[in-house]
Amino acid sequence: MIKKNQQYLLIGSIIIIMAAVVVVSSMSSPASDPASDPASSDPASRVSEEMVFRGSEEPVSSRGSDELITAVGTHGGEPEAGFNPITGWGYNREPLVQSTLFKKDSSANLINDLATNYTVSSDGLTWTVTIRDDVKFHDGVPLTAKDVAFTFNTAADASGSVDLSMLEKAAAIDDYTVEFELNDPQATFINKLAVIGIVPEHAYDESYGQNPIGSGPYRFVQWDKGQQVIFEANPDYYGQEPYFKKITMLFMASDAAFAAARSGQIDLAEIPASFAKQTVDGMKIVSLDSIDARGISFPMQANTGEKTENGYAIGNNVTSDIAIRKALNIGIDRQALIDGALNGQGKEEFTGVDKLPWGNKEAIFEDGNLEAAKKILTEGGWEDADGDGIVEKNGLKAEFTLLYSSSAQERQALAVSISEEARKLGINIKVEGKSWNEIDTLVHSTPVVFGYGSLDPTDIYLRYYSKSYDPSSYNNVIMYNNSAVDNYLRTAITSFDPDTANENWQLAAWDGTTGFSEKGDAAWLWMATINYVYIMDDDLDIGTPRIQPHGADIFGSILEWKRTGN
Amino acid sequence: MSTAVVTVNKGVFRGFNLRQKTLLIIGFTSLLLLAIVISSVEFGDESLHTNFGSKNLNPSPEHPFGTDWMGRDMFIRTLKGLGSSIMIGAFASTISTILAIILGLLSSTGKIADSFIAWLVDLFLSIPHLLLIILISIGFGGGATGVIIGVALTHWTGLTRVVRAEIKQLKTQEYIHISRNLGKSKWWIATKHIFPHLIPQIFLGTILMFPHAILHEASATFLGFGLSPHEPAIGIILSESMKYLSAGYWWLAFFPGLSLLIVVLAFDMIGENLGKLIDPKNAHE
Repeated sequence: MIKKNQQYLLIGSIIIIMAAVVVVSSMSSPASDPASDPASSDPASRVSEEMVFRGSEEPVSSRGSDELITAVGTHGGEPEAGFNPITGWGYNREPLVQSTLFKKDSSANLINDLATNYTVSSDGLTWTVTIRDDVKFHDGVPLTAKDVAFTFNTAADASGSVDLSMLEKAAAIDDYTVEFELNDPQATFINKLAVIGIVPEHAYDESYGQNPIGSGPYRFVQWDKGQQVIFEANPDYYGQEPYFKKITMLFMASDAAFAAARSGQIDLAEIPASFAKQTVDGMKIVSLDSIDARGISFPMQANTGEKTENGYAIGNNVTSDIAIRKALNIGIDRQALIDGALNGQGKEEFTGVDKLPWGNKEAIFEDGNLEAAKKILTEGGWEDADGDGIVEKNGLKAEFTLLYSSSAQERQALAVSISEEARKLGINIKVEGKSWNEIDTLVHSTPVVFGYGSLDPTDIYLRYYSKSYDPSSYNNVIMYNNSAVDNYLRTAITSFDPDTANENWQLAAWDGTTGFSEKGDAAWLWMATINYVYIMDDDLDIGTPRIQPHGADIFGSILEWKRTGN
Repeated sequence: MSTAVVTVNKGVFRGFNLRQKTLLIIGFTSLLLLAIVISSVEFGDESLHTNFGSKNLNPSPEHPFGTDWMGRDMFIRTLKGLGSSIMIGAFASTISTILAIILGLLSSTGKIADSFIAWLVDLFLSIPHLLLIILISIGFGGGATGVIIGVALTHWTGLTRVVRAEIKQLKTQEYIHISRNLGKSKWWIATKHIFPHLIPQIFLGTILMFPHAILHEASATFLGFGLSPHEPAIGIILSESMKYLSAGYWWLAFFPGLSLLIVVLAFDMIGENLGKLIDPKNAHE
């Protein structure tokens, strides 16, 4: 029971909280989110300390200088295992500290980084890469082919976020030549060479991620866990010298980052799409298109009581019906979803890879057609017999649960919107937000809002190739099995001629009779690619941004970054 | 006592005596809470539909509490959140009361049972309450059911202590000794002598448990346990509003917070005023 004094305490504290809320919002001063702020860390105050130390007159950040203070959540956020490429640091994006053998330019063409050349044997199983001979790690030790071989062998053993199952072993032939032996002639192996940063064999151990040494444009200085990481330009870098001599990355939630940017403490921050229309003096909002698609997985098997090897249910009786999948694909209006749920910050997406060279333009269809969608449902045997607004077939109601990761706001908005759209078709989608741990137990029987966007077409292979299914990962999570699609995917991944490869990737989506896209099996419901929204100093020029994959890669063009007007 | 009545009896309701005033307060607050629960049930899910054309709107006659980032009306969201909070509170209080009665009565059956229950109460009290709720809700598989069970299973301790102490005190009373000497059965004594004395305690205890249960439900959902982030729950609404403070959307936190405060205080007021009427110690004031 609440005692009198407790009651006053309660009232008092609530009033104080609300007063604080009002004061904070009316003064528009930064309010860091107490829920997401790690205990006792206050990056903002640290920044101001630094500014005091630099003796700057104004309480404004490093504007105008060659230092940069950023809070970019999508750069992997704070990597739990540190800045170690083996455990996933820099996968799909610029690792800064390390350098990779190859890189992709802003049109996704392959360019050399550490590598100078590569050849592939006629059977596609032996790859030989020659590397530069003038590269030194940050500790002064030269980078040799041994380090490259070590990196790839270790990464394959660690089976981290990069799938290296096709790699048999890597070996150094001489100081500057490395040979990769594959067990499967996958032409897409080249993409693996572009995503893994090279680590030094002599300085690699368990704690490498805490104190990384690499050969990239930036040198690791200091990591205050939960707060920030500091990088400094590498004076011995073999490539173009970066304009920014020091980069400080603060780890904060995107809404707190916006507040910090608004109070002038941060030069560059990733902000929620819902803040895209805000204006801040001296800063500009930049919205980058991405290839990061949001789609809904449709379990393709019926639920027969079968379980995965982990004991989780398989299959869904509603989504295994093609009429449901097609009707949803055609019936929803993607542009309306983008204008609403994504705050206009996105682009329509139909096959998951529309915007890439291996996307099939033929597979794109007209959406937002309620009539056609209803017709498909009727022809598929789904009728609303009991008049409750939900169609049914043989006594089975057209309803299923749609899961989204409760920490991802744009997925929440998409899921809720899709559910409302589906009601117009007579399909009842119950939306539930869960943690990924919980989703893992349901993913083979329940549709989930996923995000995919990679410059590596292997993504398609892992998503639709029947034998890619692996209960411990999200590979072919819907248990799709179409032998024609399998054939195309297999041909594509083993084709060393880029044109043949791309043609087969496209045919897998739709070849005129079948495919994984809506025109064929409608295996997924792709909705939109999301934009990544940043707020940055007016004078900051980030050059030509790279193609933004899943999780974005704003630092991809770091060597082109500079300040203008000074 | 009579002087106290005179000094208290001022203000708007001067025409009523204290008893009438107490009844009036109970009636009003109960009506308010009942209205919240009924309207939250009445508003279907359709009224919470997103409308991205009208997102993040300031409070206005059309949307008294403003709208959120998906254009949902915050008034209806708050109302639904409070409604579910009250219902969870009701469920939790009922379960806790039943547990408290059972354990309290058990403790009167013997020395071992008594010390066991005292130990059990101490055990539960020694774990931070919110932590216990979170542990239990995860143990029951998380989700809304997890939180409801967690809240329901952790609020019995206080009332159990009260019931236990009351029984202990009653058992030393002379008329109970006399009844026993006259050969009345234990059951007869328990139902005719002890239980009637417990009723006001239990009744008040249940009502005063509401605010606790509601606040704990709000805290658990605020921390992200239980319900999905798109569902209307007062904790979720408050934690979501935190994200928009830097954008200056103060109404997202202010009105739901204020409403929660009012509901909690309303229950407390009902409890206290009922106490004035029922509790023998001050029923004659």
